[in-house]
Amino acid sequence: MDRRLGKAITRLALPCCMAIAAIALAGVDFVKPTSAAAAQDTGGSHGPALRRLNEGQYLRSIEQVFGHGIRVPGRFAPPLREQGLLAIGEAHVSVSPSGLEQYELRAREIAEQALALPGVRPNCANQGNRFDRDCAEQFLGKYGRLLYRRSLDAAELAGVVAVSQRAAATSGDFGKGLQAGLSRLLVSPYFIFRLERAAAAPDAMGRAVLDDTSLATRISFLLWDAPPDEELLAAAERGDLREDAKLAAQVDRMMASPRFEQGVRSFFFDMFGFDQFAGLVKDQAIFPKFNSELARDAQEQTLRTLVNLLVTEKGDYRDIFSTRKTFMNRGLAALYKVPAPSAGVEGWAPYTFPDDSPRAGILSLAGFLMLDPTHEGKSSPTIRGKAVRELLLCQPVPAPPPNVNFSIVQDDSNPLLKTARQRLIAHQESPACAGCHALTDPIGLSLENYDGVGAFRSHEHDAAIDATGTFDGKPYVGLLGLSQRLRESADPPACLVQRLFEYGSGRAVGAGDNAWLETAITRFETDGFRLPALMRRIATSTALRSLGPALPEPGTQQANLGMLYRRTK
Amino acid sequence: MSRWTRRNMLRGMARGAAVAVSLPLLDLFLDGHGEALANGAPIPTRFGTWFWGCGVNTARWFPSTLGKGYDLKPELAPIAPWRDKVSVFSNFNCILDGKPNLVHWSGVMATLTGSAPLKGGVTGGSAEAPTLDCLIADHIGRGTRFRSLELACTGQSGVSYSMRAGSTVNPSEVDPIQLYRRLFGPEFADPNKAGFTPDPAIMVRESVLSSVKDDRDTLMRSLGSADRQRVDQYFTSVRQVEEQLGQMLQKPAPAEACTIPKAPGQMTLGPTWDVATRTHDVMAQLLVMALACNQTRVFSMALSNAGSNLRKAGEPVSFHELTHEEPVGEKLGYQPKATFFIERSMETFATMLKHLDGVREGASTLLDHSLILATSESNFAKIHSVDNLPILVAGSAGGRWKPGQHISGNGDPSSRVGLTIQQVLGLPVTEWGSGAMQTSKPISEVVS
Repeated sequence: MDRRLGKAITRLALPCCMAIAAIALAGVDFVKPTSAAAAQDTGGSHGPALRRLNEGQYLRSIEQVFGHGIRVPGRFAPPLREQGLLAIGEAHVSVSPSGLEQYELRAREIAEQALALPGVRPNCANQGNRFDRDCAEQFLGKYGRLLYRRSLDAAELAGVVAVSQRAAATSGDFGKGLQAGLSRLLVSPYFIFRLERAAAAPDAMGRAVLDDTSLATRISFLLWDAPPDEELLAAAERGDLREDAKLAAQVDRMMASPRFEQGVRSFFFDMFGFDQFAGLVKDQAIFPKFNSELARDAQEQTLRTLVNLLVTEKGDYRDIFSTRKTFMNRGLAALYKVPAPSAGVEGWAPYTFPDDSPRAGILSLAGFLMLDPTHEGKSSPTIRGKAVRELLLCQPVPAPPPNVNFSIVQDDSNPLLKTARQRLIAHQESPACAGCHALTDPIGLSLENYDGVGAFRSHEHDAAIDATGTFDGKPYVGLLGLSQRLRESADPPACLVQRLFEYGSGRAVGAGDNAWLETAITRFETDGFRLPALMRRIATSTALRSLGPALPEPGTQQANLGMLYRRTK
Repeated sequence: MSRWTRRNMLRGMARGAAVAVSLPLLDLFLDGHGEALANGAPIPTRFGTWFWGCGVNTARWFPSTLGKGYDLKPELAPIAPWRDKVSVFSNFNCILDGKPNLVHWSGVMATLTGSAPLKGGVTGGSAEAPTLDCLIADHIGRGTRFRSLELACTGQSGVSYSMRAGSTVNPSEVDPIQLYRRLFGPEFADPNKAGFTPDPAIMVRESVLSSVKDDRDTLMRSLGSADRQRVDQYFTSVRQVEEQLGQMLQKPAPAEACTIPKAPGQMTLGPTWDVATRTHDVMAQLLVMALACNQTRVFSMALSNAGSNLRKAGEPVSFHELTHEEPVGEKLGYQPKATFFIERSMETFATMLKHLDGVREGASTLLDHSLILATSESNFAKIHSVDNLPILVAGSAGGRWKPGQHISGNGDPSSRVGLTIQQVLGLPVTEWGSGAMQTSKPISEVVS
């Protein structure tokens, strides 16, 4: 069997066993899995999802529905990451009382501002203070449809109009009545959550599928990280999304829109754990160049680099590990010790690292190197290794066992153990620790030439840093060596396909999705590892619409296995 | 006076009789002596949880002597002025009974929810049942503007040990300015002001929320059971905010000890020790006034997260890292750098006691009218042990709780503390918790 297929299936079906297998390879006989997340992984639930809008999605919804210039007040609940993605966590969270207070406040203030906008306030609202039912129905029906991402049924609309009428009576002001009705829509669970619904009838294969507007919502959040626009909603309501050509036309239109770039940024923000930038702190006594602006710039630099490579240049995904092309601003130029750009848009200018520079690929950028909220005064090879495994390769690392004796680890003032490598080797003499650290530390230690915020260094405590490592059994030296190994590996593209599907469907993949996933991975390869092609395939797939496991389109599985067979030979 | 008083009933339960206590709500607001303020309004009882991360050093924290007048070891020394108002509980355990020891998570959830959790770890996790503050707020928090307040001192709103069942935390207020605005901003009605006119805009807001509940039935029908639970939580939140608005339509009861605090200035937030404790001090003072002004009766405060990221400025490693990496001093017998944070955490708790005890209410203080449960997620964080969890309860619930004792649980589940607190506060529960943490045995020594 194809080696990669075998690996991928093992990983997808049995993530904890994969880790154990790796531990066994590393020379440890047996480690009991203690991570409850791994032990409980059932591969995600199916059925229609209920996903809470995150902060960015909420803000973009308001902007898309009412236009620019509305100030959205209040604080949003902290996001929850589950099984590698915020997009999966969003399908597991609810709204607390203090969270609801904030939604209620936002609803009122947004409604008030919206009713003051000439493009939103209907003319019929300016005809005096008499309650005008037709006007209210038309206004609330129109915005209700955009906010709920589907049309309101008659009873729903009547309920919202009734709120409007009561408020108009209490305040003696029809405009205030409309404002209350709009508030009512904005605080509804149908707006705050993306509620998916099953279609009344199964698809041609007899499988349960999403209804049209739910599918439109999945597609638009996948491509734009924003709700469907009027055109997509209308197409969904006409049933167009059930016709391949019309569905493809909508997807192509959306990918040609400037909003597509935001969709790609949102996806990588999630996949690469950039939520951890919120409140990221480093000790300024140790890292004087660090401040919250530098952290924001580091995040922005990586996102710009990705968008440029993958969207603008339609490049090969694997080149994220090797590209020297990036964007630079003053703060980062000082960190990387390169000339500051003299001009540019918002202080940013395209920049290419020279061939002899220690920077190439996203791992060498501060957006990866400083992203560790648990260590404020130093770099952690363990955390960095874990990030590479989990974020880029989709390989969960088991949590440390609870009853480990850590006394073997020495503090970093020990004069005999100057570098992180020396300290971690001492730690690994304990077999209970060795298993998991064998997964993370060889990777992380090879990145030690970059300090806790990403500046280059050759020494730690006067001792030269040994940045050798091995990946998949192959030796290499330093971050650029690791990046080269990752560039050659089949795992990062497979991980990307898995994450994109999980991101779009809001659930972790399970064993039942393997065949579809393998097909998608192969097609990604055929497409030259181009991200837009992959996103297009997922957006137009029956898998995205399905409420059961993602199954290959009829006929493709056979063809795909045939291809694999030929390749193995 | 009838012999069927709350006290007699609780005593009956303490002797093992399974009596469901259900008393009129009003009784909760009267303290044990039937004490009332000069203006005749009864003094309410308050409840709070106070969390610090990364446990203690057993030999330096737990007293050696049991009962009243217990001895204070170095790490508990800061509470000396309030020893007679603080009870110490030792040898109360998180009993896992086959469940995983989720590091820096199982211990705190076991004590606060009565159930060892199934999912989580150092970055948080889920709760099998609601935390005590939620249960108690549902019971005593309905008559106030805020059913409860959640606060954290390191600038991260996700740091919260207040949860309904599931994975949504009740996010913490982290910025004193925002907390002040929420409590004492334009919507605050001074309880001691003479006039009161209900605001029609509040009525409109109430009717908006009331109408949202119409979405419930159709929504529920289209969902599986796990999602139904989440929607249920959403609508519970809607009801709570609706009730809050309802409170704002009524003239607030006078509160003798209420003085409106000054608005705090802009301050830096974050996990360095000085910054976090300064934040704690400002928030504690606002909280105490929120309690004194009847804005809330229940709170949940976290000094830091459980895998504590508290850190001295300029030091590369955090408290949590120190607990695992710092060697135990051979002569000292403990980790000196990590222990700094344990000792300072107890000093910080003592400042909370000072603020609560500094507010006079009737013949006693706000602290006397409260029960404050302080706990951590581990005993010894270095090895993540969850036996002998450090647990303190301060205050005397207006005379219904006998304070100032050291009590050993002899290995019983730590949920016994939570059960006792609920019963003393008048919740009609005879047993609490699940699995090996389930208990029907309140701690009779503290019930007065």
